[in-house]
This record gives sequence, C-alpha cells and structure tokens, in this order.
Amino acid sequence: MNLMLNIIVNILVAFLFGSLLLGLHRKVMARVQLRPGPPIVQDLIHSIKFFFKETSFPKTATYPLYIGIVVIFSAVWVTGVIEGPVLKGSLLIIFGIYAVHKIVEHNAGSSSGSPYGKLSCVRAVFSAAAELPLFAVLALVFLKTGTLNISSLISYQSIHGPLIVSMPLAAIMFLTLILSKAPYNPFCITKAKDLVTGFETEHFGVLRGLIMFTDSVAWYMLLWVFLVVFCGPIGLLGLIIGMIIITVIMGFISAVTPMLNPNHSVMTQISIAIVCTLGTVLMLII
Amino acid sequence: MDKVRILGYIICVASLLGIIIGFFTSEYLTIALAIICIPLFIFSFGLINMAKPKKDEVKERVEEPFTGY
Repeated sequence: MNLMLNIIVNILVAFLFGSLLLGLHRKVMARVQLRPGPPIVQDLIHSIKFFFKETSFPKTATYPLYIGIVVIFSAVWVTGVIEGPVLKGSLLIIFGIYAVHKIVEHNAGSSSGSPYGKLSCVRAVFSAAAELPLFAVLALVFLKTGTLNISSLISYQSIHGPLIVSMPLAAIMFLTLILSKAPYNPFCITKAKDLVTGFETEHFGVLRGLIMFTDSVAWYMLLWVFLVVFCGPIGLLGLIIGMIIITVIMGFISAVTPMLNPNHSVMTQISIAIVCTLGTVLMLII
Repeated sequence: MDKVRILGYIICVASLLGIIIGFFTSEYLTIALAIICIPLFIFSFGLINMAKPKKDEVKERVEEPFTGY
C-alpha cells in the first residue's frame, strides 16, 4: 500500500476506534455509577459536531499559540500513528511524543488567558514527573529484550512469549500510565473538575473538535503500544479485544476512585513506578 | 466572505495539495507532509464549516467568560 494512503487509513481507524473506545469508557463509568450514560457513539458524534459549531476566539488569548497549539497537538499524535501502527518504528519516539504531549498541555493552558487554563498549565508541568513510569518501562524492556524497535519487540515475543508474562510489574506500570491518560481518572490533575476542563476550558468549536479528534487518536495509540509491547503478535482481533478489555477496566477504575489532589497524584504514580521497577529488576536478576 | 473562512479555504487547498504530493514522494518527505498537512486539513475543514455568531452577539462571545478576571 502507498505510504500516504497507509497513514491516512491508520489515522482514520485510530480516530474512529479511539472515539468508540472513549464512548465505551463513559458508558462503563455511567453503568458503574448506576446511570444509563450516553450511547457509545456519543464521543464520535461530539468530535464531529464541534467542527460545525460556532467558534469564537477570546480576546485574552495569545492567538498564534492558542490556535497553533491545537494543530501541533494533532500533529504530535499523527506522528505517533506513523511511528506506531504504520512504520512500527522506535519506542523512543513514542516516549518523545508523550513528553511533547505534556508540553502541549502546558502551552494550551497558558495560551487562552483563562485562570483555569493557567492553573492546568502549572499542573501539566507538575504532572510531567508522573511520566517516570513510561521511562522506567522503556529501560526495563530494553534490559530484557535488547531492543526498543517495535517490530523487533514483536519478533522477540513471538519466540520468547509475551512480555506481560515475564515482566508483569512493568506491564502494571504501563497500565498506570494508561490510567493517567483516561478521562476522569484519579490522576487527572490537568483536567480535574475544579478546573472545569483544565487546559481545554477555553477552546471552543473547531478547536475543541480537533482536540477531541486527537484525544481519540491518543487513546487508541496508548492501548496499541501497550498491547504490542507486552502481548506481542496478537493479530487484529486480539488488538480489538485487548483494547476493549483495557478500556472497560479503566472505565471501572475511573468510576470508583476519587480524583487525587496534585501532590498525591504524582507521588502515587512515582511510588508505583519505583516499586514496579525494583520488582522487575529483581525478577530479571533472579 | 470573512477573513477566517478565506484563510480556511487557503489552508484547505494547500494541505490537500501537500497530501496529494505526498502520494508520489520519498518516504521521509511523505511522512513530513503527512504530519503537517493532515492536521491542517482537518483544521481547515472546521474553519470552513464552523457556524458564525450573530452580529450583535460577537462581542459577547469574545469577551465571555473572561469578564471579571
């Protein structure tokens, strides 16, 4: 298949399936809380709807950054799809994408001039420390397999079995990272309810549509990376089932746990990272 | 036609051209064009299709919800 066509198809799949998974996440949360909840397609409908809604640009915004950061946010995750499902390239670039994601959160929050956005921007810097689990996972995967290339990792697992069996604590660490990116999760300090919707608060209409499009792609990518890195060659059906199972688990956790305050959120994630890293190193040595 | 919509059409045409060119270029150039042009194309689609506020509501939309902060 032509590379550009391959990229477009993968982005469309990531958006459509990611939206449905986020819809499923909301549905699970609602059912756990004894509410009927919105239909599963609601997130997809919302994403598309926002492109046709009225858009206004607040006078307090720094326009180039306010508009540009949303396009950059989208470009960052388009890069993720290219490096992941399309090229099956390096995990290091995926790690870089998560790092840039934090910078985007920071700049999106500071660009609108809203106090909610500014506070979210400060928290984005604070919560960057919580990306430690991802860095630890990469280091441990490299120690175990000797590679950070996604296609080499798939080949490794087809011979030696899935890494989720040999490195379960590293998988838990990655699941903590996935949880920290899920909507309404306990670590969600940049979009906590006390900040309305955090750095997204003053992004309306088309800008919000593009953010929702990117959120869907980002969610799909997170689950794809986890399944490929820890479960290996599981095929298309395995990927779909795996993504649905993880989304349901995340929805359940998000529904039954309160949002932590910023200090507790970062400390909890770092504590999980330290315990799981030490445990995995011990397992590797033994 | 307002400035935003004209800008939307310009970005839309430019990004669409970039995507089409990307079908026939080398791997690295295709990736670069995809990263730049696909988000811009989606963004321009929104700029072209977004609803506009009524004339007497424009000021209110731009100033809200910041009044008082």
